[in-house]
Amino acid sequence: MSLTNNFFNRFINNNASKNTAAIFGTLITTIALTVCITLLWPFGNVVEQIFAGGTFFFIFWASLFYWAILADTGKQAWIRILIILLPVLAIDIFSLLFNLQIK
Amino acid sequence: MEQQTHKKLYSTHAWVGIISGILLFIVTFSGIPALFDHEIEYWQYPAYSEQQNTTRVQTPFNLERALQKSKDLNFNHDNYFIQPADNINNHVILAYFSEGKEPDLHYLNADSYQEFPASPSELNHLLGHLHTDLHLPRPWGRYLVGLSGMAMLLAIIAGIFIHVKWRKEFVMLRPKRSWRLLLTDQHKLLGLWSLPFTLILAFTGTILGLLGLISPILAIAAFNGDVEKATIAVLGPKAEVTGEYSAVYPLIELLGRLEIDMPDTSVEFIQVSGLRIIRSLEKTDDKIDDKIFTTEGTENTEEEIKEQNIKQLTTNELITDIGGIIKFSGYHKDKLSNLESVTYNLSTGEKIHQGSFIGKGLFQRIFAAVTPLHYVLFGNTWLKVFYALSALAACGLILTGNMLWLHKRGHGMQHWLSKSTLGICGGLVVATSVTFAASQVMYAFKFPLGSGLHHISEEWFFWGSWLVMIAAPFIIKDGFKLSHYFLRLTSLAFIITLVADGLFNQRWFWLTEGWVFNIQMGILGSALLFLYLDYKMPNKANIRSAESTQDNNYSAETV
Repeated sequence: MSLTNNFFNRFINNNASKNTAAIFGTLITTIALTVCITLLWPFGNVVEQIFAGGTFFFIFWASLFYWAILADTGKQAWIRILIILLPVLAIDIFSLLFNLQIK
Repeated sequence: MEQQTHKKLYSTHAWVGIISGILLFIVTFSGIPALFDHEIEYWQYPAYSEQQNTTRVQTPFNLERALQKSKDLNFNHDNYFIQPADNINNHVILAYFSEGKEPDLHYLNADSYQEFPASPSELNHLLGHLHTDLHLPRPWGRYLVGLSGMAMLLAIIAGIFIHVKWRKEFVMLRPKRSWRLLLTDQHKLLGLWSLPFTLILAFTGTILGLLGLISPILAIAAFNGDVEKATIAVLGPKAEVTGEYSAVYPLIELLGRLEIDMPDTSVEFIQVSGLRIIRSLEKTDDKIDDKIFTTEGTENTEEEIKEQNIKQLTTNELITDIGGIIKFSGYHKDKLSNLESVTYNLSTGEKIHQGSFIGKGLFQRIFAAVTPLHYVLFGNTWLKVFYALSALAACGLILTGNMLWLHKRGHGMQHWLSKSTLGICGGLVVATSVTFAASQVMYAFKFPLGSGLHHISEEWFFWGSWLVMIAAPFIIKDGFKLSHYFLRLTSLAFIITLVADGLFNQRWFWLTEGWVFNIQMGILGSALLFLYLDYKMPNKANIRSAESTQDNNYSAETV
């Protein structure tokens, strides 16, 4: 068990893991965040909703990238990603499944 | 800021820069000719400037004549575009684009609407396409360009935070000190002075490049994954071809309404869908609307009725499918938006969609401003020149960044990345100027118009010279010497361009005027700039060993 734990810690805590979190983890989180903002944006018409999420897609991506890359370990980087990803993903799934768009 | 955070940001800035640097240079440098796309197009083919009338006052665009001409030319496409004359080119373009095929283009004089041969040179497209798609298949080239913009954005953000002593760095240049300090000072100076422009170019370029990638994501959210529906919501509907025909709504009235519907807008494109040509109609089995065109009181066969209808249609000048549309798009003259459009039904003249981003929500206005900000569709020519100089500064920023990274690790010209940076980046600059020169020299050979030989030669010169320059650092070991050769060659090629333009087109710059003169001055200015860089560039550098430098990398840079 400890061997598995040790392997997992080494695997998740290294620099490659941190970089993966910063590049791909943040990309997935940004996509989920964009969908979430587009679904829930309360102002303007549907076109405004689309652009609210889309215009700052890259700003979100860049911000999350640096938040992850500034983490001390790979594990911390992934935790930072998941803190945003999980609630956002939950909102996305509920909104899409139950069509819970604000408008 | 904590030193550890600073160090991490510094390291990320360096790695993002070194990974994307060469690609970023290609995109940024090719952006300079892409910025002057219309101007270069006007200059590259003498026949374009010959289309100007003697008064140089633009004749108002006549849509009826343009459509009539498309009919005369048997320009038989269901969906095509008309590009009216602009303030540079005095010609109207009829264009049809088809996936995987060469576009069908016709050029008309904007005064007489007579067709004239298209430019044998495609210099502007060659360089423009490198900037937008890297000459790779769509959409992969566009995505790569977008990703390089994203890398630029990341490098800029980290760059802002790590350069804490920016007030001092704004004016610091120590040319008499070491090569590394000179590179460091230049990198910081170029970065700080061009920061607002590089930030705008990176942000807008990333959106333009990756828009295709995020569109489906946005469509998932707003339209249950229906990209088509999302596109229609933003850009307006497409024609719904019914197979029933009627006369076109009076175009003079349509243009009158257009001025009311889209005031202060410069119309750049007109999309025509559903307009049909009689000759081709005869060959088809399309149904013609009986209610409109049936000849009453006769007992003719279906074929005869169709023939009679066609004769009747011929008298009606222009015929459209009753679902045909005409869409006018352009940019606002005072506000930052290039997404203004209005769509009318071609048959009834009914307005079926208006897309305007003026006075809308914040995010729509930001999005509408992306293309005008990236391609300078506002302000005057001097603003474009300023943008071009900023892009040139960004090129210097990328090069000095790469050289710093290599120098700090004690790598000289022997390192493959040094050779690649010099060969690909320096080679692109040389290849661009060589292609400019070759494009003008080709006029001496008077290739038959429409043969495509002129353009093929340009392609060969561009890719061939670039390839030679990429190989050069692997043959000539002295990188400094080679850099000097590159700079001189670039300057020489620009001067040859002007001489060839004078010799073969009789356009010596002291005899020209207008945009031809402006472009020639731009070429002369570029030649002088590269000569100046050649003069200022040192002939050698002191490269310290990796052992002595790596320990002091971080501390030296933060001083």
